[in-house]
Amino acid sequence: MAGTVIGAGITIEGEVISDEEVVVQGTIRGKLQAKEGVTVEAGAVVEADIHGGPMVVAGAVTGNIVSSDRVDLQSGARVVGNVKASRITIADGAQFKGNVDMDV
Amino acid sequence: MANDTTTVLGRGTRVRGRITGGQDLEIHGHVEGEVSASGEVTIESTGTVSSSIAARTSVVRGAVRGDLTAEDAVHLEDGARVVGDVRAPRIAIAQGALLKGYVQTGDASAQRSGASRPKAAAADPVRTAPVAARPAAARPAPAPPPRKVEKPAARPAPAPAKRPAVVTLSGAKAAPSPVVPALKKGAKGALAKKRG
Repeated sequence: MAGTVIGAGITIEGEVISDEEVVVQGTIRGKLQAKEGVTVEAGAVVEADIHGGPMVVAGAVTGNIVSSDRVDLQSGARVVGNVKASRITIADGAQFKGNVDMDV
Repeated sequence: MANDTTTVLGRGTRVRGRITGGQDLEIHGHVEGEVSASGEVTIESTGTVSSSIAARTSVVRGAVRGDLTAEDAVHLEDGARVVGDVRAPRIAIAQGALLKGYVQTGDASAQRSGASRPKAAAADPVRTAPVAARPAAARPAPAPPPRKVEKPAARPAPAPAKRPAVVTLSGAKAAPSPVVPALKKGAKGALAKKRG
């Protein structure tokens, strides 16, 4: 089980800073910073800049995403913001508006 | 859906901000901000919360610096360290739990009306004796009133007796106030005469 789970009924307004994996099913407004992976599940709403390790996004993200590893935007994801990562995948059906910055 | 998953804030997680929601909440990490949930909030032994917590039920095994309010119950279990007021219909404090603060059990309506009274009562002792800790204020509530009585008596009453110089000063201070109304009265009378 992941270290931190923000459940579907929960809203956090502020900063979330974690040394471990974070799974978001609810809502975060502010800032999300993790050392490990971040998963934004379908139905989740993140209105925040996200910094972290490998990321999987299936929910809605408004904000910039910076990953030290990879970012996977899955089908059903809705991302408005810039994405910076060494590897990025965007699945068919993912909505995305923003710049992509990969190590080229 | 609301109770499908419990929200868990892991040991390595720090939240600065407000947490709200209708779910159960398990805090192993650190929260600096208000927590309000309509489910059960559990602060585990590694968890710290430095703000108030409102929930249906709160279970504390960690540290809380802030008020605990619950619609149903608050359980302070072994290892709990709480500095703040605790209000809930039912409160359980287990052996090994540490608490510094005002505690009130009972129904919500009694809590509210009761809450304002003891706070107001406790406020004066805290002001007059700032050294006294918050919880101490709740316990020796009858003790502070004598202090109050002593203090007002100590300032105005002995002062004239000990220092006559002060009496003249205080007398000088006291004197102008009747003079002003007297002038007003006279002025009013004069005005009335003028009008008449």
